[in-house]
Amino acid sequence: MKHRIILDYDLGEGWLAPWINGLRNGRAVASQCQGCNTARFPPLRVCTTCRTPSENWVELSGRANVLIRSSGCDGDFALVHFEGAKGAAVVRAEQLSDTAAHGHLSACPEGPPILQLEPDPSV
Amino acid sequence: MVLVIGAALTHYNHRRDCSGFRDWAVQAFSDALRMSGLAPGDMDALIVSSESDFFTLQLNPASVLAQDLGLTGAATLRVEGGGGTGQFAVHAGVERILSGRAKHVAIVGVDPSASALHGNSIRELYGYSFDFWTDGLSGATSTALYALSWQMFAAEYGGNDEDLGRVTIKNRRNALLNPGAHLPRDHSAEEINASPMIASPYRRLHCSPLSDGAAALILSAPDAAPQERRTRAPRISGIGAASDLPGLGHRGNPGRFTAKSKAAERAYSMAGCTASEIDVAEVYDAYAGAELQAVAALGLSSGPVAASRDGKFHAEGACPVNLSGGLMGQGAPVGATGVGQTVTCALLLEGRYYKGLQPQKSLGHAIADTHGGVATTCAVTVLSAGDVV
Repeated sequence: MKHRIILDYDLGEGWLAPWINGLRNGRAVASQCQGCNTARFPPLRVCTTCRTPSENWVELSGRANVLIRSSGCDGDFALVHFEGAKGAAVVRAEQLSDTAAHGHLSACPEGPPILQLEPDPSV
Repeated sequence: MVLVIGAALTHYNHRRDCSGFRDWAVQAFSDALRMSGLAPGDMDALIVSSESDFFTLQLNPASVLAQDLGLTGAATLRVEGGGGTGQFAVHAGVERILSGRAKHVAIVGVDPSASALHGNSIRELYGYSFDFWTDGLSGATSTALYALSWQMFAAEYGGNDEDLGRVTIKNRRNALLNPGAHLPRDHSAEEINASPMIASPYRRLHCSPLSDGAAALILSAPDAAPQERRTRAPRISGIGAASDLPGLGHRGNPGRFTAKSKAAERAYSMAGCTASEIDVAEVYDAYAGAELQAVAALGLSSGPVAASRDGKFHAEGACPVNLSGGLMGQGAPVGATGVGQTVTCALLLEGRYYKGLQPQKSLGHAIADTHGGVATTCAVTVLSAGDVV
């Protein structure tokens, strides 16, 4: 039996709104722990270092260092470290050359907020 | 301690016979119930393992399955924990018996992961198994995330593409002797290396398939089991679960399955055994490298890559891993997967497994291991052999 449903979601951004608005404009907005000032990008609601809620937001440079990459039919992705943040993030990396060691957060004004890197304009 | 008095699974494959998930659930449950010697009216509870309503288009699946299985009146519960769904359902059943709230519990795992939706739709839905707002919206697929994690692990343990091929060949060859397996194959390394690159270094043949199927267990309190099953039935002697941060980049070591190690420690502690006492393992090999990452996390080897090269995990090795073929060879109907692993371990411990795959040596302990996300929500079950009659 063939059956089709179409679903149009309207998802509340809630606590993530500052981060998502940043992505839309190409700005790396990170959560910051009130207890130890650790910045996380993507944001974490509770700091994994001291378990304090992260109530503050700080803007990073948006520059990221590429740690490892994976590419194929599913697309081009990378684990990268955003300068100023603890930890790393998985991002789309189609716009980067295969040998790029750095990139910069790319704006996504239309469509869903995507973690995506473009070539670093300072290089 | 909880007894496994009934255990059965259907074939895992891509169904093209117009049957549905409710049919497969009935088949697996009926076979397990027959083995147990009990009747539907003996069941105090039905626990259904099903990962996603997107697959079945049936919210509250336990309601219709209770009806189909003749269990209306029993307590019902549906469990979901991503790829770990089945093992979490097993744990829920064990806890219900250990708490004294039930004497007999039916666990039924089922999902139409292959036939209900197009593969591209499933791939997108699976992408939401991680963090929807970060990995999900960015389009990071399951394969890409596992590939990034494997590369971190390989950098630490020295793994390479040959090691991925070795696991792939082993599991699909094991599946050749499993009549219910989805992908029984005798691959060559050249064939694997020629398959399309999905997310480097993972090629198509390094990935587990999307499968349809069901698995079922009948669990019993020792004092309530039928006399003929009371001594010989395998025992679930330990369960353990733990969680990690969903985002790989948020973890201290994205290549290690840290939560799986915690889950295993808890299961071993409850069972009163150590990893070195595990004789056979069914682990979550959604991808070839994930098997080696799991083996390391479960403590089955401190040098998993070297041990794999030495054949420790082969069918004739010291600790066979995924004799069923695992997810890569037997298949992966998600809700059924963890339940099916426990079925396999129980049948192995009781000496009832498929000819050619049943080890010649006596088995004392087995481990069944699943997880959701990239080892984000982990569930591990230790089974121990019953008394030899």
